Amino acid sequence: MGESILTAQNLSKVVPSAEGELTILHPLSLELNKGDSLAIVGASGSGKSTLLGLLAGLDLPSQGEVILAGRALSSLDEDQRARVRAEHVGFVFQSFQLLDSLNALENVMLPLELEGRRDAREHARHLLERVGLGQRLSHSPRQLSGGEQQRVAIARAFAANPDVLFADEPTGNLDSHTGERITELLFELNKERGTTLVLVTHDERLAHRCRRLIRLEAGHLVGPLEP
Amino acid sequence: MARLPLLRLFSLAVRQLLRDARAGELRVLFFALLVAVAASTAIGYFGARLNGAMLLRATEFLGADLVLDGSSPAREEQIRVGRELGLQHARVVEFSSVIATDNGIQLSSIKAADSAYPLRGELKSAAQPYAEEQPGGGPAPGEAWAEARLLTALDLKVGDPIDVGSKTVRITRVLTYEPDRAGNFYSLTPRVLINLDDLAATGIVQPGSRVSFRELWRGDAPALESYRQVIKPGLDANQRLLDGRDGNQQIGGALGKAERYLNMASLVAVLLSGVAVALSATRFANRRFDASALLRCLGLSRRETLWLFTLQLTVLGLLASLVGALLGWVAQLGLFALLHDLLPADVPAGGLMPAIAGMGTGLVALAGFALPPLAALGRVPPLRVLRRDILPIPASTWTVYGAALLALGLIMWRMSLDLVLTFALLGGGIIAALVLGGLLLLGLQSLRRLLAGASLPWRLGLGQLLRHPLAAAGQALAFGLILLSMALIALLRGELLDTWQNQLPKDAPNYFALNILPADKDAFSKRLHELQAQAAPLYPVVPGRLISINGEPVQELVSKDSPGDKAIQRDLSLTWAADLPAGNQLTAGTWWTAQPGGDVPGVSVEAKVAESLKLKLGDHLVFTVAGVNREAQVSSLRSINWDNFQPNFFMIFQPGTLQDLPATYLTSFYLAPGHDREIIDLSRSFPAVTILPIEALLAQLRSILAQVTIAVEYVLLFVLAAGMAVLFSGLQSTLDERIRQGALLRALGAERQLLIKTRRIEFGLLGATSGLLAALGTELVSLVLYRFAFDLPWHPHPWLLLLPVLGALMVGGAGVFGTRRALNASPLTVLREG
Repeated sequence: MGESILTAQNLSKVVPSAEGELTILHPLSLELNKGDSLAIVGASGSGKSTLLGLLAGLDLPSQGEVILAGRALSSLDEDQRARVRAEHVGFVFQSFQLLDSLNALENVMLPLELEGRRDAREHARHLLERVGLGQRLSHSPRQLSGGEQQRVAIARAFAANPDVLFADEPTGNLDSHTGERITELLFELNKERGTTLVLVTHDERLAHRCRRLIRLEAGHLVGPLEP
Repeated sequence: MARLPLLRLFSLAVRQLLRDARAGELRVLFFALLVAVAASTAIGYFGARLNGAMLLRATEFLGADLVLDGSSPAREEQIRVGRELGLQHARVVEFSSVIATDNGIQLSSIKAADSAYPLRGELKSAAQPYAEEQPGGGPAPGEAWAEARLLTALDLKVGDPIDVGSKTVRITRVLTYEPDRAGNFYSLTPRVLINLDDLAATGIVQPGSRVSFRELWRGDAPALESYRQVIKPGLDANQRLLDGRDGNQQIGGALGKAERYLNMASLVAVLLSGVAVALSATRFANRRFDASALLRCLGLSRRETLWLFTLQLTVLGLLASLVGALLGWVAQLGLFALLHDLLPADVPAGGLMPAIAGMGTGLVALAGFALPPLAALGRVPPLRVLRRDILPIPASTWTVYGAALLALGLIMWRMSLDLVLTFALLGGGIIAALVLGGLLLLGLQSLRRLLAGASLPWRLGLGQLLRHPLAAAGQALAFGLILLSMALIALLRGELLDTWQNQLPKDAPNYFALNILPADKDAFSKRLHELQAQAAPLYPVVPGRLISINGEPVQELVSKDSPGDKAIQRDLSLTWAADLPAGNQLTAGTWWTAQPGGDVPGVSVEAKVAESLKLKLGDHLVFTVAGVNREAQVSSLRSINWDNFQPNFFMIFQPGTLQDLPATYLTSFYLAPGHDREIIDLSRSFPAVTILPIEALLAQLRSILAQVTIAVEYVLLFVLAAGMAVLFSGLQSTLDERIRQGALLRALGAERQLLIKTRRIEFGLLGATSGLLAALGTELVSLVLYRFAFDLPWHPHPWLLLLPVLGALMVGGAGVFGTRRALNASPLTVLREG
């Protein structure tokens, strides 16, 4: 096995609710190596997105620890976690999450600029050409179709050459044909760049393209860790 | 689905509203409305009640709240209406007549009053000339109260009989003060006050004689207003209604300016609140696109959807208006409580009108600003349920802004009843917005090119502005409007106070001296000098009457009871002067530099009299002076600052033209208080001279100005509060987008410092631009207002250049503070939305 890039130890999340404390994620552990791919599947409300948020350092666990690229996230403050994300993590969201005030090229440049890279423009242009949008660089997100917006989002996700790519229902807002093409692109780039992929999805076909799969039900891990 | 009955729709609307309220959804709109209504209600109440208080003081100068003045007796029903409305009534008849005694005759100004007179203020009299004066009372039938100068002129003592026409009355007291004479305090003839019951017996008042009949009324404001409304349409050509404003020129001027200022401040508060409502109403509509689409999917018709949201807004509007009106009412109560030492104890209650007007303001603003974006909700295609990016077809921009402007114009007009001011503010605002908006768009375009090479925070900060140049220009204009309003109100406040203070310096003349005989002239001046009194120059006065203009008798040129009639029906005080007196300004023609060259000497005429007599430069006038006719040619027109308490004249002749005629002299002077003894001695040394103290009038005026000053300062606070409310509603309306952006940037790894920097750049630049616009706008609007609304001299205000800095600090600070939620947004939000 290769080098470990993402480790979750005894991870759980409890939130306060009207009826007292509610455990939305029961303790679970997992470990991913570089280049691995993991699908998290489950029904709505099963805790998929919570787990994704914890793994990516967007949220902190009630218990347990996440170690991302060698850094224990719960010992970091929000700004330090942001730096970890800038250096090691890429995101693809269901609703694309492009900034309306920036055009396609600028959206892709964004993570590169956060990293302070001087060749941001060149690199972003190259990436957009790679995802087939070389002709749409100066278009604003509103001028792009859903599939095109997701391509921009994927280009942005890979721009900073992340170690781990988190994708939250990346095809959820797309028709099946477009969805398939986006899936192809995602896995191609993942393979090209040796990125670790963590994917949350309803789509069993998409899930089975990952090397590993876990299934959540009401916050409990019920599925196998090995495919 | 069958059509929903209105009642079910209503209950659905209320339930949804409650749910939205629980979710904190309506806070911004509710708050904006609350501020709008509270500000305009408080200012409305404050203005109305303060105005009432000031008018109450001013009514003293009229002797009543309202006077029906005419050259013929009032008709029976004109009196009956007033009595039926429960008003107190008094009657006064005034005319000029000769008083005859064994010692000689003296032209006098006779006033016959009934026992109810005066209804406001009190008469003051003394048992003997120069004895201590006592307030109250009035002459009984058979008695007369006369001014000391009549006693001097005819060598009379208290107790002597005098003949008024064919009636003999006995002088019982010396008249020292009439409340309603203040406005006319240097008339030339001595006053004799008799009882109205003796009037018929004098036999003087016959049809055709020049008499002024005054019906005095006192009562509460609504009854007076009803009386005014009933009586106004039926007024005869010779009748007019006078109120506190007409009682005295000085006070009228101050009140008029204060009222205009309060008016303008409330208009500005409404304008600002309108902007706040507009911003939050748009947000309200935008956030309901999804709900609207969903309801359409569930089978609601377009009409029903529209009705549902309209009902929601109406309920919300009514609720916010009620609470706002209550809040405004409480705010002004607190204000009056704070000021209780300065204000009269019986400040009249404001009635319901200001509250209703305030609520109306809120609702009309809501309708004008919220209905157009709301109309878009009816056009949300149901498909939006599936595709969130589908937006409704936007309404025509002209409809949206047209409706809003119409609403705003109506409110402003309704509140000020001043079309000129409304047009000046609204028209000036629109033109300025169009011109400045155009310039801003051009500026943003050029900025775009510069930005390509800029660093990330600059690109992010400005990216938002550049991506929506129209919205950015709109925001800059809105913030600019706030700064402009506040600067303008502050500017006018300072300017008004300065003008008033200059007008009434501490050493403003507090005595007038009339009838100084040429023989006494130098001795009197010397005496004043010894007393260290600060005196104006001595002006010669020759009583004369204008009899013809360009060869035509004036009686035929000027219709009876027109304003011009006032100038010709009595003797005018004619004077001559080598230099233009202080407080006078030439409006046409030139002032003479040397002795007359031609045959006909020049005369300088006061502009308003010239207007009413239709006089032009070069017109040929004939005056009769002491039985001699004197010709003159109009060589200049002058405007007079009546507020300055200096001797002022309608007609000033070129020097050397009247010097051969018998003249007396007139002056005004200031003597520090506590010199009553010296004044009495002065009167005794110069028995022919009439010395009129005007200290009481000055004190009244000063206290009125003090009240106005406080009002002006508090109103500034209200406007400031409204401005801040707008600023925050404006920020709130972009908050959703900012939170999303902030969360996304955080998820992508941006540090908090980057977000703060971005915001600072964005809002600082926006504020600086707004400040620049505001500085330009303030100068422009102040120029227009000074010239047309306030009659003040205008000069540039360099300190306005601080506005861009102030704008950057204020908008920048408020921007970072108001959007701090976006800084702290958890990056997890992006997952939740996804």
